[in-house]
Amino acid sequence: MMKDKVIVSSIQRFSLHDGPGIRTTIFFKGCNLKCPWCSNPENINFNIQEYFDGNERKYYGYEISLSDLEKEILKDKIYYENGGGVTFSGGDGLLPFKKIEPLLQKLQKEKINICVETSLVVSDELVNIAIKYVDTFIVDLKIIDEKNAYKINTNVSLYKKNIEKLFSNNCNVIFRIPLVPDYTYTVDNVSKILNFLKKYKPQLVQIFKLHRLGEKKYESLNMKMPEFKEITLEEINKLKEKIEILGIKVEYCQI
Amino acid sequence: MLKKIKKIIKKCIGKQNIFCMIRIKYICDKTYNNHKFINILKTIQKTKFYSNSKNKTGFSKLVKNIKIKDLKENENFYYNIDMFSVLVTPNEVMGNFCIDYSLFIENSLEELKNKISSKNNDFYMEELELINGIEIYLDRIIEKLKISKKYDVITNLENIKNCKAQSYTDALQRILFFNMLLWQTNHRLNGLGRLDKILIDYYDYDIKNGLLTKEKAKELLKEFLIILHRDFKIKSNVLLGDTGQIIEVGGIDINNNYLCNDLTYLFIELMEELKLPDPKVLVRASKYMPKELISESLKCILTGIGCPIFANDDVIIDKLINFGYDKEAAYNYGTSACWEPYIIGMSSAQNNIGSLNFMQPFIDLLENEDLSKFNNLDDLIDKYQTYLKKFVENLVLKINEITFEKDSLLSLCIANCVKDGKDISLGGAKYNNFGLTGVGLANVVNSMINIDEFIFKKNIMSFEKFNDIRKENFKNNDELLKKLKSNGLRYGEDNDMVVSLANKIICYTSKILENKRNSLNGKFKFGVSSPNYISDSKNFPASFDGRKIGEPFSVHISTDKSNGYTELVNFASRIDYNFNRFNGNVVDFFVTPNFIKDNFDKFIDFLIASIKVGFFEMQMNVVSSKKLIEARKNPDKFPNLVVRVWGFSAYFKDLPDEYKDYLIERALKNEGAI
Repeated sequence: MMKDKVIVSSIQRFSLHDGPGIRTTIFFKGCNLKCPWCSNPENINFNIQEYFDGNERKYYGYEISLSDLEKEILKDKIYYENGGGVTFSGGDGLLPFKKIEPLLQKLQKEKINICVETSLVVSDELVNIAIKYVDTFIVDLKIIDEKNAYKINTNVSLYKKNIEKLFSNNCNVIFRIPLVPDYTYTVDNVSKILNFLKKYKPQLVQIFKLHRLGEKKYESLNMKMPEFKEITLEEINKLKEKIEILGIKVEYCQI
Repeated sequence: MLKKIKKIIKKCIGKQNIFCMIRIKYICDKTYNNHKFINILKTIQKTKFYSNSKNKTGFSKLVKNIKIKDLKENENFYYNIDMFSVLVTPNEVMGNFCIDYSLFIENSLEELKNKISSKNNDFYMEELELINGIEIYLDRIIEKLKISKKYDVITNLENIKNCKAQSYTDALQRILFFNMLLWQTNHRLNGLGRLDKILIDYYDYDIKNGLLTKEKAKELLKEFLIILHRDFKIKSNVLLGDTGQIIEVGGIDINNNYLCNDLTYLFIELMEELKLPDPKVLVRASKYMPKELISESLKCILTGIGCPIFANDDVIIDKLINFGYDKEAAYNYGTSACWEPYIIGMSSAQNNIGSLNFMQPFIDLLENEDLSKFNNLDDLIDKYQTYLKKFVENLVLKINEITFEKDSLLSLCIANCVKDGKDISLGGAKYNNFGLTGVGLANVVNSMINIDEFIFKKNIMSFEKFNDIRKENFKNNDELLKKLKSNGLRYGEDNDMVVSLANKIICYTSKILENKRNSLNGKFKFGVSSPNYISDSKNFPASFDGRKIGEPFSVHISTDKSNGYTELVNFASRIDYNFNRFNGNVVDFFVTPNFIKDNFDKFIDFLIASIKVGFFEMQMNVVSSKKLIEARKNPDKFPNLVVRVWGFSAYFKDLPDEYKDYLIERALKNEGAI
């Protein structure tokens, strides 16, 4: 792959759920975590992947140069005016940050609001780059219980260190919590999450339950999306209240 | 029985009368059951026809005999179209316009007469006879209302004769009265104009002087709108709901001040409250408009009634001025029928006098040319232009054969007929530019992109073979058809190649029409929105965009993509609407109600940005595919479901099946379901 090219699986314009205002969301391929409920399984692998739609050969991911990516992002510049901008997502939106730093510089110059959706289980170097450019971090808050970290291949201490860094640099952080029984939604993990939130008091917490909209994509990759226990609305509301008591704004996102 | 019906139909067709035509339409409509059929037959038999004779115009006979209706106690306005009294008009009656009702609000009939009486020729004699006829009609109504002691209404009707409007109610009555006259005399597609602007002085004065409360003003306006809606079936042109009754509100003035008042909001509020498909409101949008007005408009749109639609002053007005309209007239533009910009009260525009089917010359090319000689897209486009030229020239010739009916009433309404003593049908209006509505452009563009991709670039087969497959309706070629439908680039994407291809065709069309003149010595203009995407595509051959025989053409400026709204608006804003290309260019898309509800503020941001980006016009259907599918199966459960069709709103149940199916298909595409 050329030096100035990255692999994206899709570019979604008029995206309304990935940060403030109207946004263009860039989905990069590649993620360090292995969450079994992932709704974008086509973005876990870092490479372009072949699949079949009926008899037709298709691919998840394509190479795009940074200048073309910039062009795509700037197409909707005028719609970003009221707080909107670009969101780098994935996969993990933060992983290609070293490569896309020239693009980030240009976007910052153009005064484009930048968000990133990340697990934050990334190197110190990437966090340092991100802090320079990102206006809002949308950070997953999943398993922060060391002994269960293996379930999603996360690294809790690295995660905690990075979070600490973001907050000590006064970054805007939104936490996103997927509520998955036996994984993120266990008595122990929830209590740890609440303590964690209490400590950092983020501007917003978004909670959501799983959906199975990605199921067809699993099939196309010859994978099977596992079954999960579902969390009840009552449980969701209870958790919402518990976070609100901490003085933190909570949104329950229904897809 | 059948003989009798045929005789009646023949009689009606000969008279070219809109009411008769509608009745015939019902008769021919196979879905109509026997019971209704007999009623319709009786209706036709009951009808009295009035035609011009040596000494008397048909109109002066009609007003003496027309049925006068009494008013109920709670009614504040007189309005009654007598569908059994029919004026015989052997030629095409000019329709599709928007008179300036302030002419009748600011002037009494007496004053209008004074402007005429000093002059002496046939035109003025006929105008005088017309006004005398109107007075006779008014007197007959007044006599009838005396019985029921409707003195308030009587005063307002008397005022029409003697003085300018005296109050808000008076002004509303005048609009209704002259609107009624226009419908009664076979004028179809009657626009209503900028009523918030016209009425505001009367409203303000009455409120200020304690003669009217805001509540009462709303009540009266509500009654006014319900009255205009009442006869929508007989007012409809081709489909039920297609009446052209559009009210424009808001808009910038010559100094870029945005005109917006209590009535602007009241019209929108009432649209939202009444949820009627007709009349409908068009909001003249601009970067200068208040956010609150966008927000109120969006709330109304959210009800799903397909209104208001937005026309972008910041784009449209310049185009009108550049085309040759006076600055003041351009700033006061309205619309006729659907979304064709119209110079209010000054024009004989005939804004949809011909269908500019971009696909027809393309099919002609495919049928007549040796396709083996084409190696690249440029050659194909060049040849297409030759065919397009021939097609447009023939269309113009056909249009110029139309003879219009002499029209005293419309001549009274439209400047400069009275001033110059010339009937509107002979070119008396200040502006006489006719409009064509373009359809199938997206299908041509997508076809060309596919030919370029699969034949010229990838060379998957010969052009002739490709054409044979098309001619056979892609029979046994499902895989290819799928590819043609889903090929990367499509009309509606803000991609340089797509935009430039569309603009190339549009600009060439513009050039062909530039020097053509119509029978009234006016120019031609055109747009890329059209009501004909279903009617023109019936039995029409398959095309390389993946459209099979008889399938509808693309709708206005639209996309197959789900949620591709910014992309579509960007594309629309890059289309070159200059010169003569402003005859309606509407961005049309579907949104599910929840999508707007869940993102209301962001959707407002989207609209504000879209106005700045520069769409020409914009309309949307806010409905889910699920609801449409249910309503298709169980129409009785959804009697009031309103949808937006080409340029008007209609009850979903009233639409022919092919329109219902196409709406469902487009809704599903928007939701990404197909």
